[in-house]
Amino acid sequence: MEARPHILIVDDSADVTGALRVLFEETGNDVSVANTIRDAVAVAEGRAVDVMLLDLTLPDGDGLTVLTTMRARATEPRVTAALTGRAEPEVAARCSAAGCRAVLVKPVPIAELLRCVREWTT
Amino acid sequence: MHPVDSTTTAEHRVVQLEEALNEAAQINAELQSRDALKTQFLANISHDLRTPLTAIITHAEILRDGILGPLSEKQRDSVASIIGGGRQLLEAVGEILTYARGAANQLTVSPSDFHITAVVAQVAALNEPLMVKKGLSLSVDVTPGVPSLVADREQVMHVVSNLLGNAIAFTPSGGRVWVAVTSTSERGTTHVQVEVGDTGIGIAPEHHDLVFREFAQVDPSPSRRHHGTGLGLTIARRLVELNGGRIWVESQLGEGSRFYFTLPVGDPR
Repeated sequence: MEARPHILIVDDSADVTGALRVLFEETGNDVSVANTIRDAVAVAEGRAVDVMLLDLTLPDGDGLTVLTTMRARATEPRVTAALTGRAEPEVAARCSAAGCRAVLVKPVPIAELLRCVREWTT
Repeated sequence: MHPVDSTTTAEHRVVQLEEALNEAAQINAELQSRDALKTQFLANISHDLRTPLTAIITHAEILRDGILGPLSEKQRDSVASIIGGGRQLLEAVGEILTYARGAANQLTVSPSDFHITAVVAQVAALNEPLMVKKGLSLSVDVTPGVPSLVADREQVMHVVSNLLGNAIAFTPSGGRVWVAVTSTSERGTTHVQVEVGDTGIGIAPEHHDLVFREFAQVDPSPSRRHHGTGLGLTIARRLVELNGGRIWVESQLGEGSRFYFTLPVGDPR
């Protein structure tokens, strides 16, 4: 049997990660959740991540640090999408320069989230 | 008066004036500091409201789409109302955040080259379901040859969206809303002019300035028929001016409204 895609959700709000966990688990994915940069990096050390949904504001610093740290440790997910509250060109440019495939504005309509993740995991 | 006395009096007055000036400077600094605190508070509270709203809307969409099992039609309608209300609230929170950032001069312009008709078409498409629901008709008229703009696309879209949103909100069922795009010349510079008009309730001339003022609503009573943050037009004006343009309204009570804004064709920076 083919392994289920591994989705890592990085956000400091338990309410937000809770909702996304339900969404992705119920649609056939394995889900890990991290609330800090440190925890996110640790998750990727344990199991390769297919898709990471990354909030940009984390309690221990800039969310994009997760991506650069993982890259340095060769644990970078196949695809990373930034989750942000505001779609500003400078934010989008920063995410794109850091290697994010997409910048999604919260709350992302779930149909769009599922479509993106399906596309990135097949 | 003895010359020595007059010198003493003048010196005394100078000291008094200096004291008054220092006091005024202190009060000014205190007011600026409180204003900055208020702005920061608005930005923080907006962020804190967005996060639970994100969770509410996502959970409701999971239910609506049957991911946790099928719903009855009534249950789906109910959940759809949660999503609609949540998105409306989110929009209001976004407006407060934009206002707070504008008031703190934290809004920056990221210009790009685009055509206004693409923005108008996008905003019109987003508002189409609401127009249909309210029984309004929308027409878009673009004068051929209108040049493309160099401006902040997101901000211009925000302006068109606020104006069209107002036109829809203040036009009773069966009415008409239109957007007309032309080019004009102001002080020897080519501008793109956008008109957003409606056959709605209109605005008395004495209230034309008031509608662009922050938190102002022509009818501020709790029982007013039209709700909102009262920031939409204030934000529209700020965004238009940031991009080098101007905005105004032409209207009479009971005769609909026509909001206009112009933007210079060149780079606003």
